Amino acid sequence: MNKYFTKRRFLIYCTAIFFFILAACSSNDSSGASEDNFPEKDINGIIQWGEGGATDIISRTLASVAEDEIGASLVMQNRTGATGAIATQYVYDQAADGYTLLFGAENPNLYQILDISERDYMNDFVPVTIIGQSYAGIVVNADSDFETLEDLVAYAEENPSNLLMGTSGEGGLPHVASAMLRNELNIEFNPIPYDGDGPLAVALLGNEIDVTVLAVSAAQEYIDSGDFKMLAVLNNDSLDSIPDVQPITEIYPQFETYLPWGPFQGIFAHKDTPEEIVQKLSDGFDAAQNNEAFTERLTDLGVDPLNLHGEDAIEFVQANQSTSAWMLYEAGETDISPEELGIPPVEK
Amino acid sequence: MEAIQQFLIPFLDLNLLFLVAAGTFGGIILGAIPGLSVTLCIALILSLTYSWELLDALALMLGVYFGGVFGGSRASILINMPGGPSNVATSFDGYPLAQKGEARMALTLSTIYSFVGGIIGVIVLATLAPLVASVAINFGQRDYLLLALLGLLLVGSLSKGATAKGIFAAGAGILVGLVGMDTIGGGARFTFGSLELMSGVNFIVALLGLFGMSEILFQLRTLNQKGVASFLKKTVFPPLRFILKFLPISLRVSIIGVFVGALPGAGGEIAALLGYDHAKQTVKKPNRKFGEGAYEGVIAPEAANSAAIGGALIPLLTLGIPGDAVTAIFIGALFIHGLQPGPLLMEQSGDLFWVMVGSSVLANVFLLIFGLLVVSIFIKIVTVPKQVLLPIIAVITVIGSYSINNSITDVYWMLGFGIIGFIMKINKFPVAPLVLGIILGPLIDTSFRRAYMGSDGFGDFLFGFVNTPITLILTIVFIFTMLGQTNIFTTIKGKLKKG
Repeated sequence: MNKYFTKRRFLIYCTAIFFFILAACSSNDSSGASEDNFPEKDINGIIQWGEGGATDIISRTLASVAEDEIGASLVMQNRTGATGAIATQYVYDQAADGYTLLFGAENPNLYQILDISERDYMNDFVPVTIIGQSYAGIVVNADSDFETLEDLVAYAEENPSNLLMGTSGEGGLPHVASAMLRNELNIEFNPIPYDGDGPLAVALLGNEIDVTVLAVSAAQEYIDSGDFKMLAVLNNDSLDSIPDVQPITEIYPQFETYLPWGPFQGIFAHKDTPEEIVQKLSDGFDAAQNNEAFTERLTDLGVDPLNLHGEDAIEFVQANQSTSAWMLYEAGETDISPEELGIPPVEK
Repeated sequence: MEAIQQFLIPFLDLNLLFLVAAGTFGGIILGAIPGLSVTLCIALILSLTYSWELLDALALMLGVYFGGVFGGSRASILINMPGGPSNVATSFDGYPLAQKGEARMALTLSTIYSFVGGIIGVIVLATLAPLVASVAINFGQRDYLLLALLGLLLVGSLSKGATAKGIFAAGAGILVGLVGMDTIGGGARFTFGSLELMSGVNFIVALLGLFGMSEILFQLRTLNQKGVASFLKKTVFPPLRFILKFLPISLRVSIIGVFVGALPGAGGEIAALLGYDHAKQTVKKPNRKFGEGAYEGVIAPEAANSAAIGGALIPLLTLGIPGDAVTAIFIGALFIHGLQPGPLLMEQSGDLFWVMVGSSVLANVFLLIFGLLVVSIFIKIVTVPKQVLLPIIAVITVIGSYSINNSITDVYWMLGFGIIGFIMKINKFPVAPLVLGIILGPLIDTSFRRAYMGSDGFGDFLFGFVNTPITLILTIVFIFTMLGQTNIFTTIKGKLKKG
């Protein structure tokens, strides 16, 4: 009995010490943020997409370089779900002190128009930096009968809704790009949704779908290996990594108005974050993005380094949102008018 | 010749040898803790190894991968709480074995056959990778549908006599699996306008609640009874002839495991379930009935989930496509270290392939050594008084469910599932079918709808089931499995036998 008693007391002491340490940690957290001394503690980086994806790799690589420039540790976490809306809401709910940053992709631009969430980059966040942009291309299996985009369009005109277009869900690249093709060329596909670029590539390899739209970075390896053919890249210029592929404007000049358009990665802070803090962060990430090893990694991933800040960054996000939102609305993909949400139309 | 040299690199390089060993050992321990998933551990390692050499990082990750998937079975057997989704099926017979005092036997057998399965997986990876990859790529939506339906048929055997309750639980599980944003239509299902519900219910959270928390609540009722330890049978190491008896069944389930692991849309958890199902259908005379402590019921899922690792590496290395959540992180690791995972990976960095094969073999050898060595340590868990063990596990399940997505919502889900599981258990509802429904529900939903959307009307949809060889075989297997359980079939079979 006596032996048990001491054991129990030991356990109680252990628990007490444990809670004391916990309390000590949390009291450290609650110290107020002052703008001059920023940063005084670790910064939390919330990544919108899962481990191993493009957004994750870019965010983590940049964070490891930026720690020295900013002078604080960046603690990176992935919070996935609802095409990134969970992470976006989480960062919005934290204090606007610059200690919680959102490492996100283009998705929040379409949350309102597709009724996924109330959050939105333009209304709720301020961009710290836009890291880079990638491009999308229309791809088919190498065995496909379609040799050019004109072949595909001609077939789709004769057989509306017959071609199986793999998509990556609402607001994904193929979804918006199909809307683009429908608006300008009046062609219809039969959309079949998959869970992302990886499953789309599998479906195209197995000939389960006829055509899809992939980020050039995701399709590159399969083009090089001769498994896929890219019929056109959705850009107004051809890309260095795939010089043989025609830009879509060379085939159909009317697409000029939508371009440049494509997925992007950026870092965002709550919109009420004090300006000085955003500026400090922005400077830190600016210096980090000039790191040669980092730019090399971006190019490996097929991402065009942008390193935009301040007004330039806001303009970039706005242009991307306008293009995508109006395109989906005009194609009848959504009943929510971008005008009512205050999204300006694309300047033609 | 060059390939053999590269294959031997991990065996000869002390640094790699140590990393694989450390990874395997760490994986066994961490994997055995319910809630610390292999995916989580490997994601942590990825962020730790940014500045490492690629091969060092991969050696450590492979060790943790093999060790972790295996380690999860320790918890399934000893405390009826699967360490990870791949080990759910192991608890069906593993825990009954432990309760009958045969924990040591269950731990030993599962270690040996995890090793066998793992090695078979690696052999297939090394010799048949391009072939398996080309079949896996052509695995269509109907095939996934049939595979998931085959898995769902397990409900019958998991219900332990209470078939109606089992079907009810599986149906409820499918509904829970559908919560969240519909990946096909984009609409929100059962979310009641809540953003937290949009991301759906993570099945690992359900697993922690239904197996972990509910088991804790359930065992609280018998807190003052003596533990299993008091009647732990003293088993000597089983004789070789006894061990070899299970080789044929382990070979068959390993082949199933490799193939299911190689499918981009299915992983170790489905491999283990199908392996268990195969054993149950083909083993004529188990030592005990399945579900009551059959040795094959422990061997089959463990061989299958270990073999599935070799399988999951096949699409990763041949096509740059992840076979499961863990290999998705491997892709990230390759990118970070400046490689381009894709169909050209083998040509551009062929040495990588053989070093990974070598490390995998090594990881399996360490798994066998450590696995057998630590049996005695693990078995001590059973002797820890419940008053001490249960609170520790309760804390771990909370940490585990929070850590999956750093979300407190997941903790609430876990607690909710714990209470539901507890109520189910005292009312004699089996909980395993509920988990089965949560795992398979979304797969059935999406594969059925994609298959239907891709076909031209109902006739064309049905025709698709007999159109290609893979689908035709699966359709026949499915029909026979279904009919094989009915009375008509057994009477016909009986009459045929009589002549």
